[in-house]
Amino acid sequence: MAHPFLTNSGKLSILAGAQTGVSEEDARILRGLRSGIEGAYEELIDRYEQQIFAMVYRLLGNQSDASDVVQEVFLKVFRGVSTFREQSSLRTWIYRIAINEANNHRRWFVRHCRMEVPMEENGPEHPNCLDLTPDPGRSPFEQALDSETRTLIERALTQINPVFRTAVVLRDVQNLSYEEIAEILQVSLGTVKSRILRGREALRRELTQRPDQGLAEAMA
Amino acid sequence: MTCWSVNRRTTDYVDGRLRGPELARVEAHLRRCAKCEVRLHDLSAVRETLQHLPKAKSPLNLRTKLRIISSQERKLLLEADGSRLRLLWNDWKFRMQQLMRPLTIPATGGLCTSVVLFGALAFTIGTTTQGLQYEVPVMDSGHIDANLVPVELRSSIVLTLSLDGNGRITDYAFRNDSRSVQGDASALQHHNIAMPEIPSVLAMQQPVSSDIQISVTPMIFRR
Repeated sequence: MAHPFLTNSGKLSILAGAQTGVSEEDARILRGLRSGIEGAYEELIDRYEQQIFAMVYRLLGNQSDASDVVQEVFLKVFRGVSTFREQSSLRTWIYRIAINEANNHRRWFVRHCRMEVPMEENGPEHPNCLDLTPDPGRSPFEQALDSETRTLIERALTQINPVFRTAVVLRDVQNLSYEEIAEILQVSLGTVKSRILRGREALRRELTQRPDQGLAEAMA
Repeated sequence: MTCWSVNRRTTDYVDGRLRGPELARVEAHLRRCAKCEVRLHDLSAVRETLQHLPKAKSPLNLRTKLRIISSQERKLLLEADGSRLRLLWNDWKFRMQQLMRPLTIPATGGLCTSVVLFGALAFTIGTTTQGLQYEVPVMDSGHIDANLVPVELRSSIVLTLSLDGNGRITDYAFRNDSRSVQGDASALQHHNIAMPEIPSVLAMQQPVSSDIQISVTPMIFRR
């Protein structure tokens, strides 16, 4: 007869049912952050700076804005770490803050700066290539094609609904699972799938509407 | 499987999450339906392109800015959170010091002063009063006739003199068995009291500022 406290996996059911949310590694960093240990701050920045910047850059399409938002994100993380309830993973929590900050920034930008012309042309149409890391698995020829395709897809990304863009970026650019995306966006799995589909459909429409170039050519 | 059913599974299919018979049914539909086949192919191409987008590299100065932010926040944390108990302790200490300052300084000062003064004067404290028991006959032998016999009266007089530091009488009081008289030095003669010079009579070495009590036995002379 099986022990009443043991599950099929052999773990204590009390522990199996407990939702700690954070891994041991996250817990270690969180303890360090709460204790003011310098190494914990460094480790958090090392682990998440690049990821968060890449995501925010794809959401906003502007390097300078993304940089500002990332600073806001980390500021909120540092200040909110004492109140973080650890019901989700550290990464999920940071991503959620980042998406909220990016949305806030975009709304603020639309409200205040839409008529302004930036001095620094490093938007999606003129990305700063020096700051983009090419995919090492692509040949030079493929990378040449990628450059054209990237311009098309980045322009298309800026044209679609931000809600769908966020879901697509989290899934296809950041390679997060549906479950993680659902937790970050705090929506159901079905909604996540729906948003991803509608985002991809919108991108497809944006690309196929180009009169001079079909989608097949663009995606070749 | 209908186009609607395939549409519901589009995301899972593009993401490669379909397995087994469900995947087979979708692929079978795609072989029959060109519209769905093109659509899913396009969506797969979109996904692949997005996956191969180069990762945006953060600006070099972003790391520095984040380090500055983390340093500032860490400092605030250590000041505010890490030393909360210390702050409470300091606050309590400060309040107690403010409360006790008016009491502690005079109390402590007074106590210390008392101890110092006591220690300094302890050796000098002692009784300066010495009981002197002298039997001093007071008589004026120049007026005594040789045939006269001294007769002691039964009543005695106790004279109390108050002297200043220079040996001068300032007050006096005397009493005998029947009455008590008080007065100042000028009234001595009024009461027919003739006092000898006290210091010489008592042979005192030092001026006396305390009271002197003199018991006098009056005598008369009879023939």
